[in-house]
Amino acid sequence: MNLVTGIEHQCITNPFAIAIRENQRAINYQQLSLKIGAVVQLLQRAGIPSGSRIGLAMDRGLDTVCVLLGVLSAGCCYVPLDIKSPAKRRQFIVNDAGVAAVIGCGECPHEYQNFGWLDYNSVSDHELDVSIHQADQLATILYTSGSTGSPKGVALSHRAIHAFSHWAQQLVNLRNTDCIASLTPLFFDLSTFDIFASLSTGACIDFVPAQLTMAPSQLSAWLSQHRISGFYTVPSVLGFLALKGNLEKTPLQDLRFVLFAGEVFPTRLLKTLINYLPNTEFYNFYGPTETNVCVYWRVEPDTLLEQTPIPIGHPACGNQLKIAENTGELLVKGPTVMSGYWSKKTLHAVLADQQWYATGDQVSINEKGEYCYHGRLDRMLKCSGYRVEPAEIEHVLLSLPEVTNCAVIGVSDETAGQRPAAAVVLQPETTIQALRRKLSQQLPHYMIPSRWKILPALPLLKNGKTDYLSISNLFVTAK
Amino acid sequence: MDIKTPLRQFVLTELVYCDDINNFGDTEDLLEAGMDSMGIMRLIMFAEREFKVTLPDTEVEPDSVRSINALVGWIEEHKK
Repeated sequence: MNLVTGIEHQCITNPFAIAIRENQRAINYQQLSLKIGAVVQLLQRAGIPSGSRIGLAMDRGLDTVCVLLGVLSAGCCYVPLDIKSPAKRRQFIVNDAGVAAVIGCGECPHEYQNFGWLDYNSVSDHELDVSIHQADQLATILYTSGSTGSPKGVALSHRAIHAFSHWAQQLVNLRNTDCIASLTPLFFDLSTFDIFASLSTGACIDFVPAQLTMAPSQLSAWLSQHRISGFYTVPSVLGFLALKGNLEKTPLQDLRFVLFAGEVFPTRLLKTLINYLPNTEFYNFYGPTETNVCVYWRVEPDTLLEQTPIPIGHPACGNQLKIAENTGELLVKGPTVMSGYWSKKTLHAVLADQQWYATGDQVSINEKGEYCYHGRLDRMLKCSGYRVEPAEIEHVLLSLPEVTNCAVIGVSDETAGQRPAAAVVLQPETTIQALRRKLSQQLPHYMIPSRWKILPALPLLKNGKTDYLSISNLFVTAK
Repeated sequence: MDIKTPLRQFVLTELVYCDDINNFGDTEDLLEAGMDSMGIMRLIMFAEREFKVTLPDTEVEPDSVRSINALVGWIEEHKK
């Protein structure tokens, strides 16, 4: 099964239903198929062979979905580029992915000059031929923060994404009358639900204007006016909605289900949200990008205790789970697991057949047989749902001549998740503001440390390694 | 009760970094300085707790929190 077959089927059987909305624009499934066909033609005319990787230099939205589906229909693999991240980082990604072309709108930005630019504005609608691909073919490479100092590409096949989207469709009983709010950037695996589960059911995707995340009462008004029936997002967005979303006066009667993933949802905030939305089903999805969703829990409102974190639940998408005896690490095997890591223009299949993927997360099973999450075994942080490797920030900091030494840790806050904080040893007359400016040329905003300490030297353990615990304590006592 | 000092202290150490707190102007744009939606949420929780106010849901928007002065004005309005 490949990811576009179901969507192509909807284009034929459901042509006049609305497929995608963004602000004042909307297209139906017939128009969608012509846009997909146009992108296929664009790639064919450029002589791009099936199996190539294609960079997407576009923000989430209606046009981007058309391009992404066109790339898949042409038998290629899409590589989302975070347009808000620094040029240097995007350049690293297109180079590492070995893209055959980058698709965007208008003039080619300088950072993609050597990568074959294709302008989506130049296409005209074109009939779509039915595409035939192997399920094992790569559908996308999602770059995430890497512990070796550079972004790391997680390669996902059609089969893996289809296994998730098909499972999720069944779970929430997705229908062609559903309208799904989409807020997630494409480089997040959450976006695969919005695009593939929705469109292959004949449902409608409606793009949430980004600025509404800063004005929760406007977000709830938007969800109500647009008669949104399903929403998959991160707990920090939902928590803000629970606290300040004016939900008392904005009943979201059409909202059938809410899915959340990416970080732990504080139980107190979840309870508040559920009180406002008694008829909505809530699901906690768990899984690193490497496995997509491998564990899920249907929220049972009556069982929620404010001081107790909610469980991550039961195996999802036909995956098998196992807990490593010594460490308590969660191991996963099954259909949604990645094909491997992509680096230096090649796929590195890190798992042999029948091997377990080690998540790096510590879990246990409670008395009800539900898996519960306890934290990371390594240093990875989750910052507003974004995955952040402190080692990548340290690597960039150490590459600056002003920085003699550094250590990056996570500080927790009451809302959700963590924020990176840095302890640094600096050359004389260096300011943190100058450092932050330099960092912002290399790292996305969510990876820039929000708190800093300048130290004469880093505290060390007896074995000479950095004492991260002491560094964490410096930030706690400073509050 | 002075709310500007504790508010500045919280915003400029927890949400927006600057080397010298005294150098950050009361009209500087906090969103441009790096405060995001999570930052706004933490700020509101802080303000409601510390200053014993309830900030109306419908007024939570970027313009209410854009600068220290905007914040002080907004909170003062609901402290009466």
